[in-house]
Amino acid sequence: MAKGNIARKLQKPALIGTMLICYLFLYLPILHIGLGSVSKNYSFPYPPQLTWATFEKLAENTLYQTALGNSLLIGVLTALLSTLLACLATMGLLRHAGRHTVKFLILFIAPLFVAEVLLGLSSLIFNGLFLQLGGNLFSAILANTVHCFSYALLIIATQLYRYDWRLDDAAMVFGATPLRTFFEVTLPLIWPGLFGAFIVCFIMAFNNLEISFYLLGATPTLPSVAWGALRYGIKPELYALASGVNVVVFLVLGVMFVLMRTGAVRFGHKPERERSAI
Amino acid sequence: MIGGLRISRDPRAWIFLGVPSVFLVLLFVLPLVSMIVLSFWRTENYHIIQDWNVDNYYVIATAGAYVTFLIRSLVMAVIVSALCVAIAWPVAYGVIVYGGRYKLLLSLGFAIPFLTGEVLRVIALQGLLGPLGLFNGVLMALGAAPLRFIMYTNFASAIGLVYLYLPIVVTVIYLSLLNFDMRLIDAARIFGAGPFRGFIEVTWPLNLFGTLIGFALCFVPCLSATLVPRFLGGPSGTLYGMALAQQFGESGTWALGAAMGVVLFLLSIAGVLLVFRFVDLRRSGFTGFGRS
Repeated sequence: MAKGNIARKLQKPALIGTMLICYLFLYLPILHIGLGSVSKNYSFPYPPQLTWATFEKLAENTLYQTALGNSLLIGVLTALLSTLLACLATMGLLRHAGRHTVKFLILFIAPLFVAEVLLGLSSLIFNGLFLQLGGNLFSAILANTVHCFSYALLIIATQLYRYDWRLDDAAMVFGATPLRTFFEVTLPLIWPGLFGAFIVCFIMAFNNLEISFYLLGATPTLPSVAWGALRYGIKPELYALASGVNVVVFLVLGVMFVLMRTGAVRFGHKPERERSAI
Repeated sequence: MIGGLRISRDPRAWIFLGVPSVFLVLLFVLPLVSMIVLSFWRTENYHIIQDWNVDNYYVIATAGAYVTFLIRSLVMAVIVSALCVAIAWPVAYGVIVYGGRYKLLLSLGFAIPFLTGEVLRVIALQGLLGPLGLFNGVLMALGAAPLRFIMYTNFASAIGLVYLYLPIVVTVIYLSLLNFDMRLIDAARIFGAGPFRGFIEVTWPLNLFGTLIGFALCFVPCLSATLVPRFLGGPSGTLYGMALAQQFGESGTWALGAAMGVVLFLLSIAGVLLVFRFVDLRRSGFTGFGRS
């Protein structure tokens, strides 16, 4: 019994300690390069001598501007396409697949278990060799969609898993067409899941290197330009670029978090399952 | 493939399930098949010649370098995935038990770095581990010698891979624990089980499925890592994925690269299947998808 008590006393500090060390490990590099990007002494900014020069140089660079445009295009179109397909697929799985659910589920989440570099390379072989297509934005978007689709499916499924389909049936009993039911009943209730999937897919496709790289040919994207520059060693503008993207990602997810916190958006929370008391 | 399955008489089923299935078959399955086809051809002076042979596989099996890279990658992927699971469990459990109303924020805090992209995170890692990085900067500011073993070594690659994939493992185990009914632990405790026994007999087996998904989602990208070994691994740190990517870049030997890709694909699938052999879905509380 005494042993159990010691274990229980140690549990809390040990778990919280591990958590803190992991957060430190994850965020230390991000904070370090963030500080480096706004300092003159970028490689060891302690104490920092603040300057915005690196960001100004970055914003004037036309290569980075083109790359940013391409990355945004890939991100938005990939996110739209994967959210749409994943929404169809989730509803199909939950409502129409019947006893074939597991087979379809395996097909739909298989891309998660195939490495990004293999997705990129196999699409390159298929496009370049069998379809005689050169590098273009469109195939990069489609290949990214394959990857993001599975993530979107999982995010939307957590939301739709608890959706009460009798609401749809009720609407249809009262004479609504399937399309009208979707837009007036289903969509207003599930849009947070779709929105979450869209955001996550956008960020993933925007930052993707290994899939886009092989399908784009000479078209630059932000990650591929960063990769090219990184081959010649770390430079201050790489720190600035990484920090800039980090800040935007944190802002977007921060806004999402505030929406969730205030209850404007709910992502399939189940408070009744929380532990009652110890 | 879909035609073989009689889904239902409802035509909507064909739209809901058919459109995504056709999409995946065209853009995911067919490219993989074409990679397999190419792996049986050969490349000569940057041209692909269509005569069927297994020379590419012979080269991979006999040229010592590829076998070394492959074994190094496998060892690296197993160690990194096991390490990630070992670190992620206490973290995810801690967030669930002690997170309280900040649970969501704490778990998002782990998921966010995963979304900022591999290149940018490798840049951040170089800022931490590189010759001009934070660790060595601190050491040199204190007047000590820089640490050699964290610059361009396999150890640095391992740190980098843990850094890259820890977030997804934590998130997956967190989601598994979130759906786990914590009252079961209380029940075990009421019936006299100690905390350790309760964990081994209740918590661990019921979350094994989620844990293994986390393991697999770390194992697969680690096995094919290209960026981390290139920028952190140094001269003796070449991993299989990096050698594979080079066949399509500098060396231009596409057919050999395709064969290496097939080997990598088969190994990932074998790894995932092996891992999931251990799970009894019923025992792990998995009740099926969408039939509550």
